[in-house]
Amino acid sequence: MAADLVLDTAIRDWVLIPLSVVMVLIGVLRYFVSKLMRSSQLPDAKIVKEGQVIIRARNLRASANFIPSKSFRARKAYFSNEENGLLFVPKGQAQNPQAQMFSDPNMAMDMMKKNLSMIIPQTLTFAWVNFFFSGFVAAKIPFPLTQRFRSMLQNGIDYSTIDVSYVSSRSWYFLNMFGLRGLFSLILGEENATDDTQKMMQMSGFGFDPSKSLGAEKDGLDIIQHEWALPKFEQRAEATLRKLIS
Amino acid sequence: MGGHDDSGSSEKKSIGVANDVPTFNAENMQNNMKAVYYCRTFMCIIGGVVAGILGFTGLTGFIFYFLVMAITSVGLIAKAGFSIHSYFDSWNQIIFDGILGGLMSFVLFWTFAYDFVHIF
Repeated sequence: MAADLVLDTAIRDWVLIPLSVVMVLIGVLRYFVSKLMRSSQLPDAKIVKEGQVIIRARNLRASANFIPSKSFRARKAYFSNEENGLLFVPKGQAQNPQAQMFSDPNMAMDMMKKNLSMIIPQTLTFAWVNFFFSGFVAAKIPFPLTQRFRSMLQNGIDYSTIDVSYVSSRSWYFLNMFGLRGLFSLILGEENATDDTQKMMQMSGFGFDPSKSLGAEKDGLDIIQHEWALPKFEQRAEATLRKLIS
Repeated sequence: MGGHDDSGSSEKKSIGVANDVPTFNAENMQNNMKAVYYCRTFMCIIGGVVAGILGFTGLTGFIFYFLVMAITSVGLIAKAGFSIHSYFDSWNQIIFDGILGGLMSFVLFWTFAYDFVHIF
């Protein structure tokens, strides 16, 4: 291991701190920009209605055991009746999802905007770091690494005698990129950029082919085994209340 | 290092209707998980800064990290009043969830503080 290096404090003042600050600020900026660019498309009333029906049916399925079987049967009939149930889809009326996709270019547009807002700042920062801060040691990682990491962490530095734990500013950039995710979730709240994409996927999957999910929900409701979970709840409530009084 | 106690106050009790039927409110459960995640991230950052200032290097730092996570787990369990099952599905969720996810944050802040205090 080489002797301990003494790094210039100017590196700290002009490389380490600005890099971290810029990364944090770019993260915040990206959050607000993606919030602004999120186009509030007016959803089709029919699709919204079907989505709500699906949610109601799902609620019924989830808590089926907490209502008496008579009530459950009534609700089930209301949803999955063969003639006019809410979940019943007449044949031939189902929309082709491909055609729907083409008729709604907004969705693809949204997706592209989201991707661009992710990629552009990253490339820009990386180019910035490469251009200004390459060719010198910027930081020391407080744990030893093997020689394998040298080409990754020390590119731009051509000394084979330096300990591998001294890294260039590019690796400091990568460390920031991965490590600041936790900080962002603390300062920006739950709606992080990474979470956003997942939510987006869910949303688009949700309203994508409503007739199909209606059918699936109907099948799910049909095969559910009803078993009332609270057969003696009156007695139990009485006991609890009596215990409260006495 | 008492920060893990105050941010867990948003935990809500899931409704225990019947003793034999597993009942829980999915939203409240999610909220609990979110609270745990916040506590862990917070402790990662604080722990990283502390480890850097104390000048831990190598394996000591990682041991310190797992120690901090263990303390956080104990704090969360104490916050839940030692009755895990009224707030969470299982013990795993409170003890092991999100330990590896916070490692990068920890390493970042560890390096940051270590460089500031000991290298420059």
